[in-house]
Parts: sequence; C-alpha cells; structure tokens
Amino acid sequence: MKISKSIYWFFLPGLVLYSLFFLYPTFSALFYSFTDWDGLSEAFQFVGIDNYTRAFTGDSIFQKTIGNNLKFMLTVVVFQTLVALAFALIVIKNTKTNVFLRALYFFPTILSSVSVAFIWAFIYDPSMGILNQVLQLVGLDFLAQNWLGNANIAIYSLAITQIWFHAGQMLIIFVAGLQAIPEELYEVAKIEGASKWQAFRSVTWPLLAPSATIVVAYTTIQSFKAFDLVFAMTGGGPNNSTEIIATYIYDVAFKSYQFGYASSISVIFMVIIALITYLQFKALRSDRVSY
Amino acid sequence: MKNKLWLATGTIGLGFVLGACAGESGGDSSSESGDATQISFMHWRGEDKAVLDDIIADFEEANPDIRVEQNIYPSDQYQATAQRMLQEGSTGDVFTSFPGAQFESIESAGFFEDLSGEEFVSNFDESLISVGQKDSTQYALPYQLVFNMPVYNKGMFDELGLEVPKSWTEFQEMADTLLENDITPIAFPGADIGPNQFMNSMMMNNAPDEEVFAKLQNGEESLTNEWWVKTLEDFKLLADKGYIQDDALGTNQDSAMAMVANEEAAMLATGSYHMNSLLSLNPDLELDLLAPITVEESEATYEGINTATFMLAVNSNSEKKDQAKAFIDYLSQPEVASKYANETGQHLTVNDVEYESEALQNTSYWIDERNTRFQPRFLITNAQIEDAVLSSIENVLGGEDPMAAAEAAQQIVEENRE
Repeated sequence: MKISKSIYWFFLPGLVLYSLFFLYPTFSALFYSFTDWDGLSEAFQFVGIDNYTRAFTGDSIFQKTIGNNLKFMLTVVVFQTLVALAFALIVIKNTKTNVFLRALYFFPTILSSVSVAFIWAFIYDPSMGILNQVLQLVGLDFLAQNWLGNANIAIYSLAITQIWFHAGQMLIIFVAGLQAIPEELYEVAKIEGASKWQAFRSVTWPLLAPSATIVVAYTTIQSFKAFDLVFAMTGGGPNNSTEIIATYIYDVAFKSYQFGYASSISVIFMVIIALITYLQFKALRSDRVSY
Repeated sequence: MKNKLWLATGTIGLGFVLGACAGESGGDSSSESGDATQISFMHWRGEDKAVLDDIIADFEEANPDIRVEQNIYPSDQYQATAQRMLQEGSTGDVFTSFPGAQFESIESAGFFEDLSGEEFVSNFDESLISVGQKDSTQYALPYQLVFNMPVYNKGMFDELGLEVPKSWTEFQEMADTLLENDITPIAFPGADIGPNQFMNSMMMNNAPDEEVFAKLQNGEESLTNEWWVKTLEDFKLLADKGYIQDDALGTNQDSAMAMVANEEAAMLATGSYHMNSLLSLNPDLELDLLAPITVEESEATYEGINTATFMLAVNSNSEKKDQAKAFIDYLSQPEVASKYANETGQHLTVNDVEYESEALQNTSYWIDERNTRFQPRFLITNAQIEDAVLSSIENVLGGEDPMAAAEAAQQIVEENRE
C-alpha cells in the first residue's frame, strides 16, 4: 500500500509541540548542566563536567537522596502491588457491595496530593494524631511512633501515605486484568479438583502477570518521581532522612539558586528513570503469557 | 537576545525535567483596571490578608488611580519561588523579602529598586533598617520587628513563683520546677519551624561574635568548634532531661501552640509573631518573651533575638514603580502602620507607631531596653549551609552524639563553601 506523502503533514503539529515543549527544553537543561548558571542572571560560565563530578564525589546529600529514593521506591512497589492485588481479588465480583468498595478504595486517588499530605501529617502527629491514639486505645502502645520525626522510619511513613494515595489506581488495573481471565479456566481447575490457592497459583497469577508488570512498572516510576507528598509532609527532614532526588533538585534550584547544578542532577535523574523504564518494558515483553 | 532565549528555555527545561514542582498561585496582576493602574503586592503573610484588605481599601480611596492586588504565597514557597516571579516583572510590583539568603540572591540578581532617595525612608527607624541595605544603598525597608525567641506563659510563672532565668543553671532549675508541676517547659515544633527559630537564642551567647556564620562560610570557623558543639550539647540536654516534649521532631507549630494555649507547656519555642495566635486560642494567657541564657550570667552578652523582616521593596522590573512607591509610602504612615501593628500583633520598624494591644505594650520594652542581637540564622547567606546547620540540630534531637552531628554538618558546609 502506498502512503501519500501528504500524511506527514498530520504529524507536524504534534512534532512541533513535542519539540517545543519537550525536546528543546530538555536539551537546554542538558546545556545548563555544564554551566554554573544561577537561574536568575544572564551571566554564566561553562564548567565542563564539574557539576556531575560534584554530584557523585562531592555532595553527600545527593548520594543520600539516592538511597532514600531506593528505600521509598522498594517499599511502595512491594506493598502497593500487594495491597492493590488483595483489594482487586476482594472486589472482583460485580456485586453492589463490591462496586461500593471499589469506589471506596479508589477514593483517595481523586484527592489532591496537598490535601492528602495535610490529612496524613495530622494522622501521624505524635501527640495529637489519630494513629498513635488508636494504637493506644487498642493496647498497642508499643507500636506508637514519632512517625515523621524519627529519621529511621520517616521515609517508610511517607511510603505508607503514597501507597494509600495510589493503591486505588493500581486496583483498577488488576480488576481489569482479572476480568479478562476466562471463567472457563476456573471451571476446568475446579473439575480437576484444584483448591482456591492452586487455582490462583496456576490460573490467576500467570494470566495476571502482564497487569502485574504494568502495575510494578508504573509504581516504580511513579514512586521514583515522587515529590509532592514528601515536599508537603517533611520537606526532606528530619536530617535529610526523607530528602529524595526530586525534592533535592527543587532545593538546589529554587532555594540555593544553583540551576546549573540542579540541571545536572535532573539529567542524572532522567537517565535513572529512563533506565528503569527500559528494564521494566523489557521485563514486560518477556512476561507475556498465552494459553 | 540569543542568551535570553537560552535562559528562558533553560528555565522551562529544568521545569520539565523536574516534572514535579510546586505550582504557582495568583495570576497576572499588574494589569490596567479601568482607568486605574493595578499593582501587585506580593508577600507571605496570609494571616494579615484581612487587615491588609482594609488598608488597601483605604489606600485605593485616597488614590483612586491605583488598585492593589495581594498575591500571597506560603512562606516556604515564597522563600523558594519569589525570585523567579520577580524576574518576569508582572507580579510583585511591591514585594516583601526575608533578610539573609533571600535578600542576597534578590540583590545580586538586581531585582531591588534603589529606594535610598525616597522621602518615606525617613518614616522608618534608621537603626532598624540597615538589614535592607547593601553598599550604603537602601534596597528594602523592613516593616516588622519580631523577636525570634520563646514566648512564655508569664501568668504561669507568677503562679509558680518562677523568675526569668539569667543563666543556664537557673534555666535548668526553672525547667525542673515546671516538670515537677507536670508542665512541659518548652513546646518545640521540630517538624517545621522549631530548629530554625530556637537555634538563634540557643547559640546567641555561645557564639556572641556576629561574624561567626560569615567565618563559617569562608572557612575561618567550623561547626566542630566549641561554640556549635556546645549549642548542640545544650539541645541534647533539653531533650534528655525532658525540657522539650517527647517526639518534638514530629510536632508541628499548630500542635506546639496548642500545648501552650492549653497550658500543658510553659514556653513556645518560636517567636513574638505567635503571641497573637496564642491569645486567640486562649485569651486568658498572659505572655512575655524570654530567651534561654546558655552560659553563666557573667558571660551573657545578649538577652534575646530580634529580626527586622517583611522587608518592603519595589521590583526593578516593574513598569509601575511610582505607584508601587506610593503604596509603600502609605504603609509607612504612622496611623496606617499603627492599624497594621495592632491588628496583627506585630511590632514595627516605623516611627511613632502607637501600640494599643496589651501584649504589644507589655513586650515593647524589648525594642529599646533589652540587648538583643539580629537573628544569626539570617546571617547564613548560603541556603545549603543553613540546611546543614539546621540538620545538625535535628540529628541531635534524633539521638545523635553532638560532635558526630557537628562533623556530619561540617562536611556538608565544606562541600558547599563558595
């Protein structure tokens, strides 16, 4: 089939917008990553790879942010996936109660991140917060914590908030995946005498793998790019224990006015995310299952 | 021109790569509105909106050719984004600036209009506006005079027969008495503004040299030297002895204020700017200010901390500078400033202000009778060094050894020294 050359004109508006609002700014950020631009004045100097060298050898906070990002990401990916899957298995049948439950589980997703941050900061407050009060009421005083003030657990407290906020979205993906599994396969499994666990292991899980991979891929990227909850709930504290790459870029760019250096961290950040995305998509392709 | 294009796209590019930055509120504010010229007044005091609305209404009545729109941002966001908004010139014809790092970066970017020759400068107390000057040029005029040291429940002290301590030993005795009476001595909002406020009075006599942070930035001083390690040890003592509440690092300012308003705690480790809010929570409180003296009485140089802040300025990129100056002129009239002071509970730097509220009258003696020093934190002009200093306090309150915390912070200072 011969395609008319005129069809390329249809790509032009998209190409122009993409170039203008993504490619050109991205390349200019790359350009500034080799400068000492302060973000305000017109003057700047080229500093070669100094910014990159500084990030990896002379900036202990940046190195700490990578560790914090990994802790946050791993916690969110593992538990958000499990929570979303568990909820999806609970609400898969189309009963009125389950439709209500689906809406209930999805509800946090529609809130603004700043509202969620305020709600959870209040929940976590060590003296007035609901969480510690509930733990004390049910006799679990020993679990009461300084959730956002303890440098050892603050990042995990933020991860819990992130999971609560976004698990509903992942639930929808799992529900869609579960609904696509033919009912006949379960009937066959039943006839073969398979238990519920065996049916899950042999039918549900393999056929749900593509959905699970999408959930894991999306959650990984989303949690790596997290910014708003952390910014609003802890601002990176205490003692930089919740400082992640995105909040650190913000601090360096907009509080310290080192846009050149912030650009270099942004480029490193972009490379890390691109790498994760590539690996995830590679895994996605290898996980395809067919019967 | 080419350079400007790169600058603009660079900013956009960084924004894209960040992918997740705080949004801006407010809008294009400097437009013509009918026959009147509309100017934007950009600041961070959301709690002052109502009184400023009244003042602006009066100003507009007296100046029918000028309209003023308030663009208010939370102080954290303001610290981080004001410079960027000023760059474009459509917001913040009149704007406010913090002293210290923000003043320095705005000045070096050239966004301050020179106000030196303006008549209204003489409406301000000359001794309190030097923080808005650089190289003998008056770039900004501090409007508020705040005391960044603990607010205490004077009525409670009187009831318990406590006097304001004049030494570290007396401070601990006073705190012990409060604890014996089941009262937390200090409510410390460690989750937000606590460290950056309380560090000032905790270090003021440990490092009476007002150049100490300038020396830290140029390498002459170190956080591992005695003045800062002692300050961290003093913080540790407050935590270890229970002089500040458990879980202080998880407590925000609202919770800490509630502790003082409910009389669970005797002192609030923030500043005079919270007195009005405390009185609105509990009008029966009788409040005053005190700073911990962390040395022996004979060694004490300072009694408290002052900050001339909320610095009024005109955006050099504005096209409505005359109207902007007219508004600052109006704000600096004694009767207008008195209205602002009394309705917001703030002391001001404007001459001839009449303080009517009891709280302001009772604490006015701090302006000229007490030996206070300018807030040390604002003398740190590098934001990352400031973060390192504050983090070392958080680190100690989180259980770290003071020297180890000082060493960790010093490493960051060295990484960021210019």
